[in-house]
Amino acid sequence: MKNLNLASIAGLMVLVLAPVFMSFNANSADKSEINTVATLRDHTEIDVQKEPNRIPKVINKDIKQTRNYPMQPPIIPHTTRSYEVNKNNNKCMSCHSRQRTEESQAPMVSVTHYMNRDGNFLAEISPRRYFCNQCHVTQLDAKPLVENTFIDMHSLMKQKTTSAKEH
Amino acid sequence: MMSQKKQSSSEQEKDKTHEYHVASLVAYAMPEQVSAVEAAINIIEGAEVHAISDKGKIVLTIEGDSHKGIGKKMDLLRVHKGLINLSPVYHQVLDENKEENHQKIK
Amino acid sequence: MTINRREFIKANAIAAAAAVAGVSVPAIASNLITSSDITKLKWDKAACRFCGTGCSVNVGVMDGKVVATHGDIKSPVNKGLSCVKGYFLSKIMYGKDRLTSPLLRMTNGKYDKEGEFTPISWDQAFDVMAEKAKDALKKDGPKAVGMFGSGQWTVQEGYAAVKLYKAGFRSNNIDPNARHCMASAVGGFMRTFGIDEPMGCYDDLEYADAFVLWGSNMAEMHPILWTRLTDRRLSAPHVKVAVLSTFEHRSFDLADNGMVFTPQTDLAILNYIAHYIIKTGRVNKDFVNKHTNFRLGETDIGYGLRPEHELEQKAKNNGKTKGSSTPISFDEYAKFVSTYTVEYTAKLSGVPEHKLEALAELYADPKIKVTSFWTMGFNQHTRGVWANNLCYNIHLLTGKISEPGNSPFSLTGQPSACGTAREVGTFSHRLPADMVVKNPKHRAIAEKIWDLPEGTIPAKPGYHAVLQNRMLKDGKLNFYWVQCNNNMQAAANINEEVYPGYRNPKNFIVVSDPYPTVTAQAADLILPTAMWVEKEGMYGNAERRTQSWYQMVEAPKGATSDMWQVVEFSKRFKIEDVWPEELIAKKPEVRGKTLFDVLYKDSSVGKFSLDEIPEDRLNHESRDFGFYIQKGLFEEYASFGRGHAHDLAPYDRYHQERGLRWPVVNGKETKWRFKEGSDPYCKPGSGWDFYGKKDGRAIIFALPYEPAAESPDEEYDLWLSTGRVLEHWHSGSMTQRVPELYKAMPDALVYMHPDDAKSRGMRRGDLVKLISRRGEVQTRVETRGRNKPPVGLVFMPWFDASRLVNKVTLDATDPLSKETDYKKCAIKIVKV
Repeated sequence: MKNLNLASIAGLMVLVLAPVFMSFNANSADKSEINTVATLRDHTEIDVQKEPNRIPKVINKDIKQTRNYPMQPPIIPHTTRSYEVNKNNNKCMSCHSRQRTEESQAPMVSVTHYMNRDGNFLAEISPRRYFCNQCHVTQLDAKPLVENTFIDMHSLMKQKTTSAKEH
Repeated sequence: MMSQKKQSSSEQEKDKTHEYHVASLVAYAMPEQVSAVEAAINIIEGAEVHAISDKGKIVLTIEGDSHKGIGKKMDLLRVHKGLINLSPVYHQVLDENKEENHQKIK
Repeated sequence: MTINRREFIKANAIAAAAAVAGVSVPAIASNLITSSDITKLKWDKAACRFCGTGCSVNVGVMDGKVVATHGDIKSPVNKGLSCVKGYFLSKIMYGKDRLTSPLLRMTNGKYDKEGEFTPISWDQAFDVMAEKAKDALKKDGPKAVGMFGSGQWTVQEGYAAVKLYKAGFRSNNIDPNARHCMASAVGGFMRTFGIDEPMGCYDDLEYADAFVLWGSNMAEMHPILWTRLTDRRLSAPHVKVAVLSTFEHRSFDLADNGMVFTPQTDLAILNYIAHYIIKTGRVNKDFVNKHTNFRLGETDIGYGLRPEHELEQKAKNNGKTKGSSTPISFDEYAKFVSTYTVEYTAKLSGVPEHKLEALAELYADPKIKVTSFWTMGFNQHTRGVWANNLCYNIHLLTGKISEPGNSPFSLTGQPSACGTAREVGTFSHRLPADMVVKNPKHRAIAEKIWDLPEGTIPAKPGYHAVLQNRMLKDGKLNFYWVQCNNNMQAAANINEEVYPGYRNPKNFIVVSDPYPTVTAQAADLILPTAMWVEKEGMYGNAERRTQSWYQMVEAPKGATSDMWQVVEFSKRFKIEDVWPEELIAKKPEVRGKTLFDVLYKDSSVGKFSLDEIPEDRLNHESRDFGFYIQKGLFEEYASFGRGHAHDLAPYDRYHQERGLRWPVVNGKETKWRFKEGSDPYCKPGSGWDFYGKKDGRAIIFALPYEPAAESPDEEYDLWLSTGRVLEHWHSGSMTQRVPELYKAMPDALVYMHPDDAKSRGMRRGDLVKLISRRGEVQTRVETRGRNKPPVGLVFMPWFDASRLVNKVTLDATDPLSKETDYKKCAIKIVKV
């Protein structure tokens, strides 16, 4: 019963109607476990608090992460601590701009970033894309609290081709 | 135009990567220049026209193996005098090295 | 894999460009793709699920799953961009803990407030809900039932709920979470202009010469508008940006004049600017004489706390007269603001004199087109309506209003705070199209449109959000339904005023949500809910733009939309269950009918047939009820505003457009209201016409600076401000389930000045307790993050369900708007 999370409770819905399950429930000592459904609180009553974990470190391995879909902005695989991005400076562009990638070996910003609001192509990065951190974020070394079951399109297609072969 | 084409392909050799890049763009050509623009696109290596609207909007893709290569090819096109506007719409990179490794593991 | 991945991504690229060009490329399917049905991706437009900006996004669906999202290049709002949240929309529906069955607290097979959450069927869920609602109605009448809704409800969901409560149950105890967010803005608009919502539109961003941000961190909270502002600032070097806040944040990165002021003194700064305009002779006299009136407002109006609170005992004018005002002359007004000298204001606010003068000059200089933006800094304020009024003052004194670039612009927080909460009127005192329940003429109009007997809608405003929690605690509100919000995390003073009411044995609490939230945990019955593109809907954004989307994917089996839940629930009530005999006697043909029949099926809501829904479109609700219910709800709702300066286009048109800004007159949207030539409702020859007021004149209010409800003292020696972050939407129930967003900002930290940390013996990362008179919360210290508070103030965001900062906050509200001040209370911080 300890490990019974909400999803499995829901999955057992058919069983619920059976009296056996009911008595099992009634005998269970762990009512508070069942009733603390808020996943993001990790089975904690509302009027108490678990000790907050330490501040995780920024992942700084410089390894590109696969994107979920082509239009997703890539996440930043390195720390950006003390990077200045303000109206006078843009530290990110000192590596990622078209002119600097040869030297820095960093990926160049996508060509879409040179397009202004009206769809015209500019020589420099469009000012509307100036603040990189509105779309690109670093990742902290924290384990997600809830699994996400999103499936990307390539895995979906792969599934289909595999099952098509089987038939 | 021909010399430019050469230049861009030699550039590609130098920057050989394991990446596959595709960018799609909409070129907006002056009505009387549509076919000239189309021809200019077609002689750029890796560029391809997919559709042309009555209003002179041309849907094209540019393929290449580096960011720089795509940018250079776009620059070739951008200066065409028959062009009112060139808008990049979409750009994706496929890291084929990684792709292969990935598939091998599976 | 048989498909060439290169070909696949190339096909995607072509499809994207073809969509932009408006060209069809028939070759894509046949030539490029080897097995087209395997790679088939269907793209459709939707409004973003998150903030009030109202970006349009393209949603890619494959095999009944959302697989991709990106900014809609055709949308005038965002022109192809999304913020980091928007780019991850694809994943918000796929948290593993999606709810798929109603859960009721039970013991031995029966409902028990102290029982265990047990899966039950929808039928059983509605049975117990109906029983509890009927019990409450029988015992104490309509005031014992209530609902807490949302500015994230679709327009149709909000409208269906208002009709069920205000007409069906005859209870005005329905309020949206927009009360926490926009109520002060509404109060400001109604008081100054007599009509709600901004006169300008986002086009102002490309016209203004100066931007002033008042308590708005647009860089994080309205990122796409920030991209437009940044674009303007960096492409036109003469443009200036002034940013005011109680702490330094990301928007200061672009500021030419960044100002950190002592909390609450924004009121004084606003009055100082008015004084500066007058003193330097830059009042636009022609405009002021023709288009404005001056009034002196009531003062010392209390802090919206419980009546027995000592602050309420002390306040002189917190009764019925608190919103009243008396006419004064321009000279009297000038004298009133003359006490706000630059010296006095600088001392009070902590902002240096030269910075204040530079700010005032942006407004005073007739050559500078200035747009003011504000969000929660003004609205979540115990004098929020005043702050809104005072900002309109300075735009009205200079005539800088309703023209491209000259714009006092109240930004909404939520995606449909304007559309659903305000325009539909889901507030406890409102009806659609700016009408109010107190006004007998307004009630008569609503009763006529709804085809209900006179006297159906109660005249007295119901319980607003904060009062609902107090009434739950006091056991006076006994059947309570929460939809589309997470108020156990969002409401202030959780320990004293929120949690006790939910767990009061007299009450039955229903919470509808896609995920098991903190609020769901406090409920007695949890209903699994469909979200975003799992249903058809509409949102209305901050620039009056109404946008629609189709249902694109099925909800997880077992989950249903908020609207379906409301309408299906109405089948459980016969008119005799909810209306008194004398009301039924006025319309005997409703006898024996259900609320579903009277309010939806047999009303104008039910008049559009299923044939109008394209065959290839999903539409769970309509196909279940037997009529095109989203269209019916919208068209009936729209009939309230058409011809009354709130005109909306026909429903079907919204499926074609990237939204339209109301009033939509003769098929054309309106960009700037109240300005002749751009707003068709202005009287010819008027120039400007503030037609919300009978005489066409807006009001300039004389209102003073008054202190905050709670300020730091010797023991509780720090100001606490709370708010949002870029990476998470509100309470994080969607975005904390997206791994990339979670890992970008996993925990709510307390941002403090390094000197404040040092003087308390703390360092970055230390475990600390934030303690107020009401409760405490533990978190860790951040001294070098993106927010840089001054000494004496700390900031902690509220997105983190595991660190409930609202246990600490104070439930003081603006007495006029009833909106909570989440930006100011006194705390101390100690090491754990």
